[in-house]
Amino acid sequence: MSTAQATKNCITLKGSAQIIVEYLKYGINSILFQRGIYPAEDFDNTQQYGLTILMSKDPKIQTFLQNVLSQTEEWLSKNMINKISMVITNAHTKEVLECWDFKMQAEMGDGDTSDPTKLTATKELSRIQNEIRDVMRQISATVSYLPLLDCICTFDVMIHTLQNTELPAKWDETGAIIIQNSQAVQLRSFSTGLHKVDTVVNYKMTS
Amino acid sequence: MDDIRSSMDNMMARFNDDITHSAPKKLLFNRLSASFSDNLVPTPKKRRLGQESPNRSLNDSSASLNSSSTDPFGSWQSSKLRTDLIETKAIVIQLRNEIEQKTREHRQAMMLAENKSSALKQQCDTTCKKYLDLQRDFEMMQKRELALKDEASRATTELAQLELKYDEAMNKLQREKHLQVEDARDVQLCISNELSEYRRMAQRADLELQSTRNELERLRRRHEELKARFSGYDEMRGDYEKQTQNLKVANDRIRELEFEIQSYSDWKEVTKASQERLASIPDLMAEVERLRGHNKHLNTLIGDKLLLEEQVHDYKTRLDREEGARAEAASLQVKLTHVEQELKEWVKVAQDHCLANTLVSPMALRSRIEQLLKEDIINVAEKTSSASDSKHLLTSVRDLEQKCAIYLKNIEDLNIGLKRHKNFKERLQRKLITVSKERDFYKQLVENFDKDMTMSNASVADMTQDMQVRYRVEVLERTVTGYKDMCATLEREIQAMRQQEQLAEPAGEGYDSVKKELDTLRLENDRLRRRKEELELEMMHRCLRGDFNMKDFKVVHLSENPAAEAYESSKNMMEKLQAEIERLKRRNKKLEDDETQRLNETTSTGGMTLNFKEFNQLRADLESANGKMRKMKDCFKAAREEFRDVCYMLLGYRIDRIGANSNYRISSMFAEGPDDYLDISLNESNCLALLESPYSHTFNPPIDQQLAATNFPAFFSTLTLELFQRSTVT
Repeated sequence: MSTAQATKNCITLKGSAQIIVEYLKYGINSILFQRGIYPAEDFDNTQQYGLTILMSKDPKIQTFLQNVLSQTEEWLSKNMINKISMVITNAHTKEVLECWDFKMQAEMGDGDTSDPTKLTATKELSRIQNEIRDVMRQISATVSYLPLLDCICTFDVMIHTLQNTELPAKWDETGAIIIQNSQAVQLRSFSTGLHKVDTVVNYKMTS
Repeated sequence: MDDIRSSMDNMMARFNDDITHSAPKKLLFNRLSASFSDNLVPTPKKRRLGQESPNRSLNDSSASLNSSSTDPFGSWQSSKLRTDLIETKAIVIQLRNEIEQKTREHRQAMMLAENKSSALKQQCDTTCKKYLDLQRDFEMMQKRELALKDEASRATTELAQLELKYDEAMNKLQREKHLQVEDARDVQLCISNELSEYRRMAQRADLELQSTRNELERLRRRHEELKARFSGYDEMRGDYEKQTQNLKVANDRIRELEFEIQSYSDWKEVTKASQERLASIPDLMAEVERLRGHNKHLNTLIGDKLLLEEQVHDYKTRLDREEGARAEAASLQVKLTHVEQELKEWVKVAQDHCLANTLVSPMALRSRIEQLLKEDIINVAEKTSSASDSKHLLTSVRDLEQKCAIYLKNIEDLNIGLKRHKNFKERLQRKLITVSKERDFYKQLVENFDKDMTMSNASVADMTQDMQVRYRVEVLERTVTGYKDMCATLEREIQAMRQQEQLAEPAGEGYDSVKKELDTLRLENDRLRRRKEELELEMMHRCLRGDFNMKDFKVVHLSENPAAEAYESSKNMMEKLQAEIERLKRRNKKLEDDETQRLNETTSTGGMTLNFKEFNQLRADLESANGKMRKMKDCFKAAREEFRDVCYMLLGYRIDRIGANSNYRISSMFAEGPDDYLDISLNESNCLALLESPYSHTFNPPIDQQLAATNFPAFFSTLTLELFQRSTVT
């Protein structure tokens, strides 16, 4: 009975990566909506984490996020990611206006730590989801203090991986982004027991 | 009742007897009491006995006592007597009790009997009352019986009477019944008679109905006939209407014909006029010829005049041109003189500037000028080099001055340091003096102690205790005074030092420099602190951004990202927009050019406002012209009508123009009907031709022959006469 209970609440690296990727999916969509990067009519309501989250209907964005996040999941399950940045830039001038950093920190979990590829954690999914919900709420609340994006904007997702990572097809190496005169706000963080995710928003200070 | 009463009486008598017979019992009581008294009789005896007995008993007892002592037989007898006595006493008591009981019983029985008697008395009373009541009732019953008997007898009599009455009624009713039966029979007969009568009437009604139906049928048939006739009448009416319409049409036609006749007369006049004109054609032709010749002559004259005018114009232009040329020539001559003068001046200048022995020429002048320019260039180069040298020197002088200032500053610093060192040396010397003095004192003290020691060791025997102490005190006093002196000197020294310091302070340059240094250091400290805070903030930001050890990681992204796409599209759009801007600019320019052109045109024609004015003017003119035309038309119509009427009245024919092909209908004033008209058409060769009409067939010699014999006016006049005669005859 106890073993069954143990296996029931167990989170593996893969499971943790899945949870984080799901969070990233909803988080990025929510940011796209909240920051008004795409028009509001391109979004649909969905219920997740006990919240109403608006997801993009644009097939291009959907496929892009699908591609990026599947690769992210793979790398995350191998603990090869340091940070994932969602960069919002001016579409005409290419100036970086905002950067949402999702920093990943590997944790040891509370299971058997002898094999680093088979780490487990017994944190309850509902607790994790509650933590994620708090972060999502904060993301929607950031609109109140982030500067208005009054130009046509676009976004990109950049992943900070280890130097020895092999790049799959269609993936490029790019430079680190720099925001002139930036201001950073750290939101809440959540942990799956195997990964701790900090969400930080860097934005350009308007004089 | 009497029996009951008697029996009751008997009962009462017996009861009374019983009561009375109880008297002997009473007597018995008496006897009993007598017996009691009998019993009582002896009691006094006994009492007597008793009364005696106590004494006796006492005596007995005494006797017994005595007897016991005296007589034993007597004692036994006394005891026997005593027992008897006791026995008798018990019996007496028992009897007394019995008597009391009996008396009580007797009393109770008496009470019971009394109660019974009273109850019986009451019963007797009640029964008496009842009896009386019953007797009364009985009497009443008897009375009632009698009354009832009377009634019964009466009733029987009444019954008999009623029987009689009913018999009579029965008879009467039977008779009535008979009568009614007879009536019913009569009524039945009557009804049957009536029924038959009704049947007959129904038959008759049936017959009547049949007859009426037949009649109805007949009427219907008649109605249909009438309907048919009515439809016939309708048709007739339609025919009639048609005829009337035809009549109207014919009348119209007649009128038209009349009008035609009238118009014909007009035409006659017209033809007359035209014939006259035709007659005058040759004259006109001659005139025309003449006029043509005249015209030709005029044309040639005009051509000559035009030629002359052209020649004149040509000459005029030639004259103008020549005048212009003359003026130009004059101006050119003036210019020529001016230029010659200038040339002379130039030559002079050349002679002045060129070398004396060389030929004066522009080339020489040019070479001279070039030479001068070269010299000038060399001079300028020298000048610039010397300026740069001077600048260089100035900078070196400035450097040297700066160095000099630095050296001076150094010298000052060194001087200050020297002064400070001097002060320090003085202070050290003073300190040395004080220290040496102290050393002397300490030496003295040590000596004293040494002396003390030697004294205590060597001269114990020599000196007394007192002496020793005195000596020591003296020594100590000396040392104390020495100390006091030293203290005083030291204090003096301190005061002097202080004074010196006070004196030195305002004049001290070291203090100022130190202060300045302090200030600068403080400023630097603040600056550094701010820098540190900034760096801390940046550190925190860096920490938030997490870009430490960034060289361990590489940033990757999907090449097909929305940003790249957006950049591409924006670039494309920019290019497109720029192209469009170019296009629009060109178009704008073109439009502007057109606009200016048009503006010029409009200004040349006098502008839009003028056009509008003109337009309005034209519109007003048009309206007035239209009004005039309408007025003319009305006027013409009225005149035409009048003319037609007058023609009709004068000539007796109305000529109406029918259709567009110049057909004319001629109807006479004296025609018999509106259908009597003649159709005539005018063909291209201005010839009148008669057309067929119903009226044209009615002429007895065919109309063609008549016309062939005469012409139209003659024919119509004969026709008029004929018709007039016919109408007057009828």
